[in-house]
Amino acid sequence: MLRRKGGNRRERMFLFSWRDAGVTALILAAATLLCFLMRNIGDGENYVSMVFLFAVALVSRTTSGYFYGVAASVVGVFGVNYAFTKPYMALCFSLTGYPLTFITMLAVAVLISGMTTQLKRQVRQNYNARLEDMRANLLRAVSHDLRTPLTSISGAASVLSRNLGKIDEKRQRALLNEISGDAEWLIRMVENLLSITRINAERASVKKVPEAAEEIVSEAVRKYRKRFGAPAAEIAMPGELIMAPMDAILIEQVITNLLENAALHATGATWVRVTVKKQGCEAVFEVEDNGGGIEPDKLPVLFDGSASSYNDSAANSRSMGIGLSVCRTIISAHGGTLTAENVPGGGARFRFTLPTEEGEGHAQCGNHTHR
Amino acid sequence: MRNAATILIVEDDERIRNYMRTVLASCDYAVLETGNAKTALSIVASHNPDLVILDLGLPDRDGQELLSEMRQWSRVPVVVISARGLEKDKVTALDNGADDYITKPFGTDELLARIRAALRHGRQRNEGERTVFSGNGLVVDTERRIVRVDGQPIHLTQIEYKIVTLLCRNSGKVLTHDYMIREVWGPFSNCDTQLLRVNMANIRRKIEKDPTMPEYIATEIGVGYRMIEMD
Repeated sequence: MLRRKGGNRRERMFLFSWRDAGVTALILAAATLLCFLMRNIGDGENYVSMVFLFAVALVSRTTSGYFYGVAASVVGVFGVNYAFTKPYMALCFSLTGYPLTFITMLAVAVLISGMTTQLKRQVRQNYNARLEDMRANLLRAVSHDLRTPLTSISGAASVLSRNLGKIDEKRQRALLNEISGDAEWLIRMVENLLSITRINAERASVKKVPEAAEEIVSEAVRKYRKRFGAPAAEIAMPGELIMAPMDAILIEQVITNLLENAALHATGATWVRVTVKKQGCEAVFEVEDNGGGIEPDKLPVLFDGSASSYNDSAANSRSMGIGLSVCRTIISAHGGTLTAENVPGGGARFRFTLPTEEGEGHAQCGNHTHR
Repeated sequence: MRNAATILIVEDDERIRNYMRTVLASCDYAVLETGNAKTALSIVASHNPDLVILDLGLPDRDGQELLSEMRQWSRVPVVVISARGLEKDKVTALDNGADDYITKPFGTDELLARIRAALRHGRQRNEGERTVFSGNGLVVDTERRIVRVDGQPIHLTQIEYKIVTLLCRNSGKVLTHDYMIREVWGPFSNCDTQLLRVNMANIRRKIEKDPTMPEYIATEIGVGYRMIEMD
């Protein structure tokens, strides 16, 4: 489980958190209740220390930092002493084995808190490393991919300016079309890269506001239809309105990229369909085509930004490595997932999810923070 | 056909200015141009152009400030040039009195379409208030409170009707979310954009032939909504 809120871990450790305090109180109360019940049944006394030890372990594991675990162990020691050992309802520190109980509980609390903190730190580091990797890949892909259209633009322009009037009009027109085509491509590439700058680098998060999924999909498809005649784009949407917190510009970029990917790479596709549905606490977007599908050996590296170096055949295939890795970056920053698969019977399906609830800890949503 | 309209280009980048001047001149518009805010104000005051194209990033002054100052004494239609991703700037510009915006990088067709629409609004401003709006089969009669699509009467709730008529009265123009909320629910309502979106989704399901591809009310992502031009 990865925490997205409260990026600065060191700060968190000393910050008071209602959630953690509540969890601690709840677990201790449950332990106390259990002990009372056991005492009523009969020989509860032997288990009291065990129950509280377990409670302390649980608190240390579920809260962040050391504070709550240590606090729970202190409360546990006094609680056990006060309520569950003779004399009942009185503190007595001369019991044999008392220091041992105290030290054990404290040690367990510190140990488990430490492990928990370390684990969280590691997850964070892994995520940052992956983001760093993605950026390096992007940069490499960009520098590789920018040169080609720039060379072609400056080349065509210099041919035109030097030979204006000397070459026939058809050839001139072809060169002009090349220039504007490559310029368009550069524009789209730059837009993609600028998208990344909208993502907060430190926290790998975006500014989200609730948006209607249908509006975003409609606009992306409208723009797609302006640029591509085939494959024909369809939209499949349920009657109900699906809202999800997102950075609308970025999600539109993702859908645009996935549609463009289908138009340029789905060989033989006659349609591409965007589907939106709600599943539990997630909005699920799918972009599916009926083309040739994705080569199995490309599937694992599809979103790495390195895919472009594998296909140097078709001239227009060069952009997709970047487009898809931008998609993944955007979706990760939204706390969602992006996957690709081949559909049985031909065609590729890209699917991404967005949490429909803001923040974490929504009881009805289960563990939607998993990655 | 001769376009009598005079257009002022306020843009500090010379290449973009050249490009726009060439495009506009080839469409027979009379073109004035400047690269800074100071001259822009004096040209508007002295030449009274029919339209101003304003780049928000000027060297000597904030474009938004220039816009609000100009609005204090001039109602000339203003089309703002802004970049994609800077949706906040567009919203601010619209709130400051801009009539429309165009997103950089833009194509020639888009530029000309925006200019034609803005010029039309400038002319309409001087006509009286209309009560019947129609376009593409949608008819809204504010006097008799009737909304029809292809002759079929459409039943709208009170709020939905308010939204539709607000968009009709400003057809062709982008209305920001906040502006619409203020106009429909009142200036002191603490209504959020979510309610506006829910209402918009319902309106689209009632008036659009294909709600997934709206033809009457377009979404301007991150900014607001725009109704097609209504006659």
